Amino acid sequence: MTLYHIAVSNLQRRRKKMLFLLLGLVVGVSTVIGLLTIVGAMRLELGDRIDEFGANIVIVPRAKGAALNYGGVVVSDVTFGVERLTEADLPKIDTIKDREGINIISPKIVGAVDTGGQKALLVGVETKREFTQKPWFSLREQAGLQPGAKPGSLSLLDVPADGLVAGSAAARTLGIGAGDSITLNGQPFRVFGVLNETGGREDGVLYANLAVAQRLLGRPGEFSMIEVSAYCNFCPVEEYAAQIAAVLPNARVTPLRQAALYREETIDKFASFGFALSAVVLLVAALMVLTTMLASVGERTREIGIFRAIGFRQAHIVRIIFLEAGLVSFLGGVLGYLSGSAAAWLAGPYLAQLQGTVALRFELILPAVLLSMSLAVIASIYPALKAARLDPAEALRFI
Amino acid sequence: MAEVMIALRELKKTYGSADGEVHALRGVTLDIYKGEAVAVMGHSGSGKSTLLSIIGALNPPSAGTLEIDGINVYALSQERRADFRREYLGFVFQQFQLIPYLTALENVLLPLVTASLPGRRKRELAEQVLCRVGLAGKMNRLPGALSGGEQERVAIARAIVNAPPVLLADEPTGNLDSKTGEEIMTLFRKLNEDGQTVLMVTHNPDNTRYMGRTIVLKDGLLCQDKAEIRALAAGRGQRRGG
Repeated sequence: MTLYHIAVSNLQRRRKKMLFLLLGLVVGVSTVIGLLTIVGAMRLELGDRIDEFGANIVIVPRAKGAALNYGGVVVSDVTFGVERLTEADLPKIDTIKDREGINIISPKIVGAVDTGGQKALLVGVETKREFTQKPWFSLREQAGLQPGAKPGSLSLLDVPADGLVAGSAAARTLGIGAGDSITLNGQPFRVFGVLNETGGREDGVLYANLAVAQRLLGRPGEFSMIEVSAYCNFCPVEEYAAQIAAVLPNARVTPLRQAALYREETIDKFASFGFALSAVVLLVAALMVLTTMLASVGERTREIGIFRAIGFRQAHIVRIIFLEAGLVSFLGGVLGYLSGSAAAWLAGPYLAQLQGTVALRFELILPAVLLSMSLAVIASIYPALKAARLDPAEALRFI
Repeated sequence: MAEVMIALRELKKTYGSADGEVHALRGVTLDIYKGEAVAVMGHSGSGKSTLLSIIGALNPPSAGTLEIDGINVYALSQERRADFRREYLGFVFQQFQLIPYLTALENVLLPLVTASLPGRRKRELAEQVLCRVGLAGKMNRLPGALSGGEQERVAIARAIVNAPPVLLADEPTGNLDSKTGEEIMTLFRKLNEDGQTVLMVTHNPDNTRYMGRTIVLKDGLLCQDKAEIRALAAGRGQRRGG
């Protein structure tokens, strides 16, 4: 027989109380594990779906002086001493070290056009890339559709060479709708579609095919800017920007982290709230351990007195209490991991509005067990010391 | 002359309480020799249990010294004193004091838990003493499934399993019928004959027949009145407890 055997026998004898204690630990650990699993899945999804948040690196020609502004990005179009971004620059981006982290490269040209007495902002884009990069763009109207038919997905549609996609505000200002004709700088175009309102600056823009717009603006082969979608779960987007800047000395490369940051901030807020909640649950679990172990010591005063009288050291008593707490909490850690993972797997997609399933994080099993055991052992320090310091003579009612 | 096993010198014990101090022992000087069997008697509150707990290395005296086998017990640290109890003393408590969730065998194994012996050897020792006290067939029973006499035997087996030189017993027959009590006392006598020094607190004058010497405590002091000692040993003027 060993101290371990004594601890196990006592746990078996006090099954109900220990089950109660176990439940507290399971709830505490599963809250933390569930939360970590969900937050992990959210971050993974953030990485996987970065294209949905638009570009996060913007490349513009290096310039001095004033600049136009498009979508919050400075476009060096009317400045002096302007460097140029051209088609020759695109292959250079492919040479950077972390090229595999780049999803979409979308060059564009921006310029003012005359619509017959009224100025408008024209943006020339490679339509499929642009609209894949900005999936929140959707068509309100599409030319040539049967009555009642729904507009298609922009990223899958081919915009004709003479076609335009108008932002909602631009369409309203210019009085145009899908299928209408319009003249830009004297060249006729047909409105292929009108976008739903986004609330952004894109609402006031006319989109045309890149090559057509370059010719129309008199700048063939030239870009006003290149938008890049890049993401790495384990590295900052600034690193990509620095790599691109190194191969494009003629350009100013700006990392834009708003979308990802916003999403990350949301995740962080969710995580912070969850961790605060977990801390409270863990505190309650620790208090449960403390009170249960204290009650257990109180009930076993005489028993501890016997142990001491027959030669157990104070350290042996402490070890028995810690063994009991350790055994229950080990089980609590394992069960907490399983229940937390199951809860995250089942409820995570609804709680965090994830599109995919929540992947189980097997690497968390050891931290779960360690968390549970440390919590229980720390909460058992006072009861264990109290037990060890019991006066054996008093415990055996000699006094 | 026989060697002194337990030497008490001017042992005093005072407990503080809200009503003032209680002097449980007022200066007890006593020698108990190796292989001796001594019964301690006295009225309730005479200091018997306090004396036993002090000799049992459980309750430091307020003054005076206790030496067992030449070791100044209360000069030892708390942890060394625990080791001392394990090596030198066997306790038979009032009301058996068995651990209810451990079997008879496991209860007997308890003093050996921290001993540096192989597990198999510990088990052999525990089985041997259980056979010696007549419980060969009931080793795996929980205390609740044993009679009072059997529980007392388990308690005795636990006290002697590590072969301590001193056996301390507190009212060992207090909860037993007279026949079982006699069997237990016979067992104590056998243990004493095998060389163990026995010190037993008892209120039962019949038990003194099995012991070599009877001492009487009165108001925290050893009673020197031979007539009173004889009267207590004969069962007159007896009150329970103590």
